[in-house]
Amino acid sequence: MASRVRPSPINTMNTHIIPVRFEYFAPKTLNEAVDLLSRFRGRAKVLAGGTDLVVQMKVGRVRPEYVVSIRWLRELDFIDTREDGLHIGALTKLRRIEKSDVIRRGFIALYEAAKAMGGVQVRCMGTVGGNLCNASPAADTAPPLMVYEARVKAVSTRGEREIPITKFFKGPGKSALEPDEILTEVMIPYQPANTGSAFLKVARTSMDLAKVNVAAAINVREGVVRWARIALGAVAPTPIRALKAEAYLAGKELGEDVIARAAEIAASETRPITDVRSTAWYRREVSKVLVKDALRIAYGRAVRG
Amino acid sequence: MGVTSRFRFIGKRVPRRDGVLKVTGAAKFAYDIEIPGMLYGRIFKSPYAHAIVDRIDKSEAERLGAVVITYEDVPKVLFNTRLVSVDEATYKDWEVLTKHPKYVGEPIAAVAARSEEVAQRALEALRVEFKEVFKPVLDPFEAMDPAAPKIHRKIVLANRWVDVVNNVGATLEYSEGDVDKAFRDADVVIERRFKTNRRYHLQLEPKVAVCKPEVGGSITVWTTTQSLHNTRILISQVFGIPMSKVNVVKTFLGGAFGSSIHTNLVTLIAVALCLKARRPVKIALTREDDILHDHVSYQMHFRIKAGARRDGRLVAGEFENVMDIGAHQIQAYPLLGTALGWFVSLYKWGSIRYVGKAVYTNKVPTCAFRGYGNPQVTWAVETVIDEVAEELNMDPLDFRLKNYRGLGDIFWGQGPTVKTVIKSDGVPELMRKGAELIGWYRRPKPWEQRGRFRRGIGLARGFHTSGAGGPISGEVIDYTGAILKVNEDGSIDYVTALQDHGGGTLDAHVKIIAEELGVPPEKINVVWSDTFTTVYDVCTHASRGVYVGGEGARRAAAKVKERILEYASRLLPKVVNPEALKMEYDEELDDVVIYVEGMPGEKVTLSEVARTAWQRNWGSISASVSYRATAAPPSFTVYFVEVEVDTETGIVRPVKVVAGADLGTVINPDLAAGQIHGGFAQGWSMAVLEDVVYDPESGEPLNKGLITDYKVPMAPDLPALDNFTVIFASTYEPTGPFGAKGIGEAAANPVAAAVANAIANALGIRFYELPITPEKVLEAIKERRG
Repeated sequence: MASRVRPSPINTMNTHIIPVRFEYFAPKTLNEAVDLLSRFRGRAKVLAGGTDLVVQMKVGRVRPEYVVSIRWLRELDFIDTREDGLHIGALTKLRRIEKSDVIRRGFIALYEAAKAMGGVQVRCMGTVGGNLCNASPAADTAPPLMVYEARVKAVSTRGEREIPITKFFKGPGKSALEPDEILTEVMIPYQPANTGSAFLKVARTSMDLAKVNVAAAINVREGVVRWARIALGAVAPTPIRALKAEAYLAGKELGEDVIARAAEIAASETRPITDVRSTAWYRREVSKVLVKDALRIAYGRAVRG
Repeated sequence: MGVTSRFRFIGKRVPRRDGVLKVTGAAKFAYDIEIPGMLYGRIFKSPYAHAIVDRIDKSEAERLGAVVITYEDVPKVLFNTRLVSVDEATYKDWEVLTKHPKYVGEPIAAVAARSEEVAQRALEALRVEFKEVFKPVLDPFEAMDPAAPKIHRKIVLANRWVDVVNNVGATLEYSEGDVDKAFRDADVVIERRFKTNRRYHLQLEPKVAVCKPEVGGSITVWTTTQSLHNTRILISQVFGIPMSKVNVVKTFLGGAFGSSIHTNLVTLIAVALCLKARRPVKIALTREDDILHDHVSYQMHFRIKAGARRDGRLVAGEFENVMDIGAHQIQAYPLLGTALGWFVSLYKWGSIRYVGKAVYTNKVPTCAFRGYGNPQVTWAVETVIDEVAEELNMDPLDFRLKNYRGLGDIFWGQGPTVKTVIKSDGVPELMRKGAELIGWYRRPKPWEQRGRFRRGIGLARGFHTSGAGGPISGEVIDYTGAILKVNEDGSIDYVTALQDHGGGTLDAHVKIIAEELGVPPEKINVVWSDTFTTVYDVCTHASRGVYVGGEGARRAAAKVKERILEYASRLLPKVVNPEALKMEYDEELDDVVIYVEGMPGEKVTLSEVARTAWQRNWGSISASVSYRATAAPPSFTVYFVEVEVDTETGIVRPVKVVAGADLGTVINPDLAAGQIHGGFAQGWSMAVLEDVVYDPESGEPLNKGLITDYKVPMAPDLPALDNFTVIFASTYEPTGPFGAKGIGEAAANPVAAAVANAIANALGIRFYELPITPEKVLEAIKERRG
């Protein structure tokens, strides 16, 4: 009874060390960093907090020839309130986002997402840029940034460009960044008055990757939804916006039946899979619940101000 | 705690002796052992769940400077890594390294090199060719199909070859009374099938072994083990080295939960590498190694049938137990008996019939995990008991009190060969107090609840044995040893092989010795010992550390006391019989005073006695004791758990816990309560979270060994401390040291059952497969709604 099973990579994994040979660079300026990326085009990985990359290298899933650490580029670690919105440097630690009053007051869904990620130690290492560039479908910072319609800035030797966050994710582990580009900052426009938002997550434990995560933002005038934005994670190859549900909500009064209908529509926009964390069926069912809950909380925050 | 208040040291809250060492990192674990010239080992593990190796080319690895061993370099003997059972009850089917791997991760070869990096490169440079790769058999019922591939053909029992038929490694059948008639006469019969989960121990410390060659052909070994002496015996047996040349040294242990009752394979591989390299070798498993291929709990499939009369009396119990043991036997055969023991000892079933089978599958070998099958059996039995009570329209609490095995009944500690009469029983007290504290009589009725969030209160009762001793010698080896010396200044050295896994077992011993002699704990030194300098102790398992080990220590102290009093009487010439003397700690003198009651002048201090015995050549005051307990009494636990179920997500949250424990005299209340909190956490995790799931094609765990995908609850997932009440029964176990029994496993055993019963109380739905995940709960709720 022969079997054509593929051998397990069990013998190439050794997390006491990084069992992969690579050359390490620690540029002091952004220019040096992008020069290196341009030189190693495609064969280098950018190291920020390391909470994803180092793990992937230790288990042998990622084997870069070059590692370009950007941790010394302190100019990428900031939270600035400017005229056009909030600017967050890509190297800003998740813990700093969680502790920022500006973010908790003005962008509460992002605060809630940062707080829901990993443990304190991981949040003290992991960065917002790293969370986005890792391009996990379950990235917790993605849904809030999507409902806030954030943009990210990418820099290379060829210049810089802005990418709307809604166009940033291309597939599991794939982003819109070119191999020679570094994500340098996230820009979030200020939300108009009477806007409320919320982030919710369901996972196996309080310290876990999401089975489903959801962010919602609603703008309300005189009891009527002017616009609503809903984003979901871990239910498709990338974090997604539930555009049909958003369109359905625009102009409606937010009764329970409307919320339920919107949740149904949002769930129908997901394409979940079954994996070690949950089942496709459960993810779709719970998407509905989280969308409903997030809409209720966001609405409450919008009308209470 | 009225009973314990008469003690001077026992029952008092004191800081952990090793607390500072552990917090500051000064405590040395096996991983911290560094020896000049030491090599680092790595194990080449089977990438297939079932295969035959054709050949191994090790030339490239050796060119890198590595020492390489394969199955050709190790002794050709089959062994069982666990030596707790007598030879006639020990099935042997394992090799140090194998040509015929039977699970993903089974060791085939190993390398040692001057650094972990070089070792890893050498490992990857090994060319291992397989001549056959079989489809893995992962389900025990499929494995028993005569057409299924054979995992083992012949194994060894004692020193005889036995044939393995249809992958069944061991069986046990038992019956008492006319079961069929009893079921015919029963008014209510409930029959259910259950499937338990396969849980990874997730002890803090992954397995490590360091082996150092010594002059004259001896070796010294530091390793993660629950038994120093059994590790030495196994190394001696496998490698043919006399025991007098094998020294296993104690190290701190970062938990084990049963995963090192047996000698972990890494220890034997480190020895083999060391013998070949003639250099010290360390092998430290990574967390991923530990998860992927080292140890996992027994996964059990049950059928339970219970019959009761209208008057609320159980009259018949039938129990079928099919255990998925993985690729090798560790303590599968003894567990067949012990599982029956747990079943029988929970309730007075009347007539019973039992069939147990231990079935091989191509998965990681299973071993004991806190409770040794007891949490699994208790979950299933306590579910059925609830259902029978409901059917009889009886309060489940009353039904339990009417039928449980308590005071004066026979208790089967570790299966049919270890029986004890129950002499202390706190169950009624714990039931009464717990019911009050949780609000049992106001618990919700599932059909009356509306809304998204539903509450439920569950009750489960259980126990665990304290050790595996007994009046006669059965299939289990259980005795301990202690050496006690009064030093020349009156301070004390305590020498024991017994391992403290981190639960504070040896702190308890120190208090027991202190209580016996009146010497304060600060003056008692626990000697960092090894197999050369200690007498035999079987293993710290079966919740025996305090009950058996502590009584061994107490007896050594009692012997020493006799000698102290005899010497003291030489200094108090008016005393004709030393038995008239008492010993007591005097805080002002900071010494033990030996005196005659009512005669204040007639006294001498312990330090004077010790000093005089030295100066006048009377000789050392010391004792060496080997002690076998004559009983293995049950420690009872009663859990009341309140949960909240979110009927839209299926998520179950613990709201409130009242945990009642009857461990006899409580030696150290904080540590005992700590055991109960930890027991709840593991039981909760078993109930709702954990399972190692295997890829049906490759036979590899789907979590790929990554802790990212093997979750256990974090602090926020557990009840807040304010909502967790621990109550101790005021009992005294006459056979235990100062009335004490065990607690480690009893603390965990009924938890999953109480949680499952609480979920049933909230929803009116019962689950027969663990873990009860949100996915399963939600599906069941939707199914019922139709």
